[in-house]
Amino acid sequence: MRKTKPVSRRRLLKGLIALPPLEAMFNAAGTAYAATAAAPETRFVLWFNGNGIPERYWMPAEAGRDYPVTPCLSPLTPFRQDVHILSGLDNPAARMPSTGNDHHRAMSAMVTGKTFTGRGAGGPSIDQLLAARMGTSSRFRSLQIGVCQESHGDSIHRNMSWAGYDRALPPEMIPHNLFDRLFGARDLGWVKRKKSILDDVREEAKELAGEVGTEDRVRIEEHLGSIRDLERSIASLPPEYSKHVPAPEEGGDMRDYPRIAKLQSDLLVHALATGQTRVATYMLTKCQSLVRMPWLGYTALRHHDYTHTNAESPQAQRIMRDICRWHMEEFAYLLGRLKSVKEGSRTLLDNCCLLYVHEHAEANPHKNNGLIAVVAGHANNKIATGTYTKTAGTFGDLYLTVANEILGVPLDSFPTAQKKLPELVVA
Amino acid sequence: MPAQLALAILLLAPQLPGEPLRRLTHSQYNNAVRDLLADQTRPADHFPPEDFVDGFRNQARAQSISPLLAEAYGAAAEKLARNAFRGGDTNKLIPCRPSGPSDAACAGEFVKRFGLRVYRRPLTARETQRFVNRILQSGDFLKGAQAVVETMLQSPNFLFRVEREGSPYATASRLAFFLWNTPPDEALLAEAARGDLNAAGTARRMLADPRARQALDDFLSQWLRFDLLAGTVKDRRQFPQFTPELAEAMAEETRLLIHPLVWEDRDFTELFTARYAFVNSDLARLYRLPAPPSEFARVDFPATSDRAGLLGQGTFLALTSKPGDTSPTARGLFVRDHLLCQTIPDPPPGTNSTLPEVTADQPRANRDRLAEHVGNPVCRGCHQMIDPVGFAFEKFDAIGQRREKLKLTFYPQFGKESKSPKPETAEVELDTRGTLMGMGAGPAPEFSSPTELGRLLAASPICQECIVKQLFRYALGRRETAADQPAIDAAVETFRRSQFRFRELMIAVATTERR
Repeated sequence: MRKTKPVSRRRLLKGLIALPPLEAMFNAAGTAYAATAAAPETRFVLWFNGNGIPERYWMPAEAGRDYPVTPCLSPLTPFRQDVHILSGLDNPAARMPSTGNDHHRAMSAMVTGKTFTGRGAGGPSIDQLLAARMGTSSRFRSLQIGVCQESHGDSIHRNMSWAGYDRALPPEMIPHNLFDRLFGARDLGWVKRKKSILDDVREEAKELAGEVGTEDRVRIEEHLGSIRDLERSIASLPPEYSKHVPAPEEGGDMRDYPRIAKLQSDLLVHALATGQTRVATYMLTKCQSLVRMPWLGYTALRHHDYTHTNAESPQAQRIMRDICRWHMEEFAYLLGRLKSVKEGSRTLLDNCCLLYVHEHAEANPHKNNGLIAVVAGHANNKIATGTYTKTAGTFGDLYLTVANEILGVPLDSFPTAQKKLPELVVA
Repeated sequence: MPAQLALAILLLAPQLPGEPLRRLTHSQYNNAVRDLLADQTRPADHFPPEDFVDGFRNQARAQSISPLLAEAYGAAAEKLARNAFRGGDTNKLIPCRPSGPSDAACAGEFVKRFGLRVYRRPLTARETQRFVNRILQSGDFLKGAQAVVETMLQSPNFLFRVEREGSPYATASRLAFFLWNTPPDEALLAEAARGDLNAAGTARRMLADPRARQALDDFLSQWLRFDLLAGTVKDRRQFPQFTPELAEAMAEETRLLIHPLVWEDRDFTELFTARYAFVNSDLARLYRLPAPPSEFARVDFPATSDRAGLLGQGTFLALTSKPGDTSPTARGLFVRDHLLCQTIPDPPPGTNSTLPEVTADQPRANRDRLAEHVGNPVCRGCHQMIDPVGFAFEKFDAIGQRREKLKLTFYPQFGKESKSPKPETAEVELDTRGTLMGMGAGPAPEFSSPTELGRLLAASPICQECIVKQLFRYALGRRETAADQPAIDAAVETFRRSQFRFRELMIAVATTERR
């Protein structure tokens, strides 16, 4: 048995400096959490930030392996062989008639392929469809992680993961809360006690479900499902987690989003590395983002305001360029962390598939066609990386390709999907 | 109707919808644990935030319990139960003195009494037995009681409002959540048990209780979107005085205007016509009023002021503005949406929303820029309803200060290549004439200030009915349907006949027959 070294929370949170030895958190007895000789399971991350892009500073002029690096893509330079840049994606469901503004429509359409309901997304999002198939054996079926706490109040702005019609899965935006979910101190006595309490709660929910009408029963069943998820996260708690991690501290500047983004990325990497989940969404900024970005020196307006205020002027375009480059820097940070974790003879990034998306292409006209995406990681050598493709598919096509061809998860259909995108897949 | 057809309808029709099952809102959760366990930590403030759906945070159709929320409930319940018995039964939750861990009688007494409060109804025999067993098996009475509390606080019977039709407990629960924003207390449950709960009479008595104030605040903060005000950011170069403290003072000013109207049984439409304000010194300076004798004391407006009521307040003027400038469109939309209950659709997909650029060479007021909307047939239909409402507020800037002219500042670093490093400025005349279309027969009324629009709204039956509808949506946790129109009409009638006493309206809504 490998001797494990305790990991302090401080060290974990300070992962900015050096990643703590993940082996210390592996289940010493089992194979579930340790790197094994067999090919580790592939993980999936859907990464989002709000508004759109300044296309002229984002899209490379030429497609192919020798594509020139653009200002917005420059943070990805060290990962050139780890990413596939895509443009030309269509989001047709955003053009279907529904209520809501362009952002609402685009958001619902992009993650679910269904139209905005007037309140939320019209169906389950792609990450949840994948989680239903990939997340059955992990501690958390899926994780929803967020960064920027913005003033938007509406459901469709605030959430990117949807369990179903109007059923938002909110992101955890506070690092110490996320840390507690993943690594909070637990002992066996606690686990036993918690389980027996949840048994009783489950009994109550079952009894109640039998007493109420159909519509209300759906509500109770949802609660039951959440209780089961909670039970599972407790039941599969590796004993090692129980010992070494003191209660996390709170505080710090919660509007210092670059700091929060990195803390959340670190925790996501740990969650993926320890096999606690195989599916995650990461919401850097909200849909129609209203983030003000003092760290870039732009305090006059918020991101969404900049995209619509004299947006065609060179100055405004340059500001949007800098904002989009920041998004990409945070994405690149996550890629770097994933790459720094060894998994067998390879790295965690080699076993991941990440999708980087926005709700619009050019932001000012709310463009819903010609969208961009970055497909990152290697998913066990399934992703054709190191190139830029101008494609002609939909988000549905992209998801279907990722599911069936890259993750090896059988997904029969997705709204708006008609074909696969062979250029993404290693021949 | 042929019998087959009737049968077909009967079979095909979905189950007649009753009132949808509702979850405790976060603020109700906080109030509940405060009342049940004397816990003041407001644990729900750290739950995943509630989303606004259909204008409110408490709409049943958005109230699911996601895994993240279930975890938060679990963690909160654990902590609350532990704190409740820290250092013994310090909160006197256990009504008897247990002779030992196997004192079934005392366990039963505790479970029944505490359970009644948590589930807002007597526990069933099965439930009681389950919890009593839990205590008896724990080997330690207090530890067992703690586990019972932890379980109950995660149970759907606590988290959801299961209000069985016709039960006096359901009535007590509905009244308490609506009028107090918290579960029914022991007295109210006792009243329900005796069966002498008279909804109207009980509601009237409950409104005299200070707890009714916290419920009114909850309604106001959602109806008038204080959350957006708190999250407002302004251009610091132009508005250095706009701070979170100032935003909070604005919300307080709005609350202070409304509370006396409600609790002193005055005409609620004064919300739109009040020629006075409750301001602190920051707000007095912002509004250029004489300093108040004490913080948030009443100050009467000078005769020359054209502020009046809510529409002249920083709350409305700031939360509907962009960081650097006003938005007549956003102000008009707020009036339509929140005060007239008129839903204006969003722009159709792919609309080009670019308005003419404002440059130092061509400075112009919003009115000129927005003329684009009226010139474009795609935009006109809706924007002629919206923009002209907002024009009346153009003499109030993005944080609610009076301005006679629009002062435009063109900073060198944004929007336009600059010739000089200093900001260029320009002054533009403001035209505040507005119209309110779509308010019934006859020419659209005209106005040019918050005072004049406020008078129109106060007298408008549409606005009066909207106040009723908003309270109805908040109270029932859903949008009204055609089937609710008679109930709404009756409530409007009560509201009007009472000379717009909001308290009477609350009683009318509280005693509305549920479908």
